[in-house]
Amino acid sequence: MTIDTSKTIAAAGSGKATASCWSCGEMRAAHFCHACGKVQPPSPVDYFSFFGMPRRLNVDVASLEREFYELSRKLHPDLSARADKREQEWSLEQSSLLNDAYRTLKDPIKRTQYLLRLEGVELEEQSKTATEKARASGEVKKQIVPPDLLEEVFELNMQLEELRMNQKMGEDDPTLVKDLEGHRSRLEKKYEELAEELKSHWNQWDKALDRHSNEEQRAALDHMVDLLNRRSYIRNLVQDVNEALGN
Amino acid sequence: MAYSDKVLDHYSNPRNVGSMDKNSNEVGTGLVGAPECGDVMKLQIKVNPQTNIIEDAKFKTFGCGSAIASSSLATEWVKGKTVDEALQIKNTEIVKELALPPVKIHCSVLAEDAIRAAIHDWKAKQGAAKPVAAEAK
Repeated sequence: MTIDTSKTIAAAGSGKATASCWSCGEMRAAHFCHACGKVQPPSPVDYFSFFGMPRRLNVDVASLEREFYELSRKLHPDLSARADKREQEWSLEQSSLLNDAYRTLKDPIKRTQYLLRLEGVELEEQSKTATEKARASGEVKKQIVPPDLLEEVFELNMQLEELRMNQKMGEDDPTLVKDLEGHRSRLEKKYEELAEELKSHWNQWDKALDRHSNEEQRAALDHMVDLLNRRSYIRNLVQDVNEALGN
Repeated sequence: MAYSDKVLDHYSNPRNVGSMDKNSNEVGTGLVGAPECGDVMKLQIKVNPQTNIIEDAKFKTFGCGSAIASSSLATEWVKGKTVDEALQIKNTEIVKELALPPVKIHCSVLAEDAIRAAIHDWKAKQGAAKPVAAEAK
């Protein structure tokens, strides 16, 4: 699944929202005017900016949650029931933006994927682009996933196929089942290790932001893409093994 | 999503499923994957070292119908071609032949990758034994 962020992303790049309150003309905050407290029309910002956060990947989820509940309360459409129609609509739009932003940013993987898209990385396009490059240069495309993982995926799929065949024929192969269970626990461990590894890439990204180093940012993004690719393979494998083993 | 008739045909009746001895000098093996969907595809070619013609091709793909159809078609197409001719096969031709929808284009990309990887592997093997014949222009 991909998150449809195209709208907000496109909008975020297209210039600044009005900086003054529509009602009283004072400088406004993202959601409400500081001076008169009126709800503001949703401004085309990305989710990080929506919460007034920098694009850092280490996020204090507890404080994000507090902010979310506070804003939810303030933006609740019921509160503006007596306001004019325009304000009611803004409240509603801001609320739905708030929900999307919170759901995306609180989840470590979704947050990472979202940042990658904000930074112009198209996960779905990477393979095609690399193939076109390889075709043009005549070089062999570097596989996005390391060869030993591919090998493992392939071998495990072969075993899964054998298991399914056995089950179809009503045959039992305890050695095969045991083998697969072994693979599964190894993969699950690997999957957990990836979460730790992801954090190290977050740190690299955040540091690169502080240092304003484009090069380091690029490197961190590449690492995250690589990790998410491996992760989806492993997740699929674990799912398939679970399904085949019937638990 | 509906599959085209050609995809269904390759899917329910895949050509050239199987494997060859990957240690043989005449065999090139390409193992590639698409992380978007977790597919993995192995394509092998057997090349006549005198003529550089691909005499046989086998594949084994774990993935969706489109991935299976793309690799099945790829084995059909490379057979009888020289390795250099096979390198000209583009994923867009597979898309066209199978009428793949945009969301399945990566399956055709995978098939092109597999062909190239198999040829690369074969060339590398020839490189050790016979560098001149193996060198592509």
